[in-house]
Amino acid sequence: MEGSSEPLLDAKSKVTSQLLDFQWKLGMAVSSDSCRSLKYPYVAVMLKVADESGQVKKKSFEMTIPQFQNFYRQFKEIAAVIETV
Amino acid sequence: MAGDLESSKALSGLLSGLAQDAFHGHPGITEELLRSQLYPEVPPEEFRPFLAKMRGILKSIASADMDFNQLEAFLTAQTKKQGGITSDQAAVISKFWKSHKTKIRESLMNQSRWDSGLRGLSWRVDGKSQSRHSAQIHTPVAIVELEIGKSGQDQL
Repeated sequence: MEGSSEPLLDAKSKVTSQLLDFQWKLGMAVSSDSCRSLKYPYVAVMLKVADESGQVKKKSFEMTIPQFQNFYRQFKEIAAVIETV
Repeated sequence: MAGDLESSKALSGLLSGLAQDAFHGHPGITEELLRSQLYPEVPPEEFRPFLAKMRGILKSIASADMDFNQLEAFLTAQTKKQGGITSDQAAVISKFWKSHKTKIRESLMNQSRWDSGLRGLSWRVDGKSQSRHSAQIHTPVAIVELEIGKSGQDQL
């Protein structure tokens, strides 16, 4: 699932990892050394995935609110499509 | 010459240069570059404290993420200080902050993001799937590719 040189989504590609768990938190950065009054909300996600050998890996990343809204929209679209299959 | 230091157009340019350097991470904006481009008639030893003063003011405004009331109060106080700014300069700074506030705030937020960000997302839905390991066969599956990485920062 990582940003490797080969995209995993081409038709002839191999097995992908399985999503085991999806954890999230909504955080608010209050202050930083470069900005005393930061007030920056963000969504942090922790994914637990198992690769084809069964090895469990954790991946975390952070999204701004606009990025999260796009993320959410994409998954809503996936949910809609998967219903029709 | 004091007259040159009071030029509104030059100050506007100076603030842009300072913002590029302090917030947007633009390299190569030196004191000498700013002086020669915007205040060529002003000697370096006179320019230096002026630049420091303007940089300090801009950083204070950005750091406190001042709203327009706070900005007015802050700039008024600066005009009343010994060695402060003129009311014309205050007007230029006010105008600059109002039009660049959002962009500067965005850069400051980016500066405080150290964890990996989401660089890309693509997905595919497969109609039928079968797997040696997965118990979910003959059901639709969504495959999502997330590109996770440091947002534009150098990796150690």
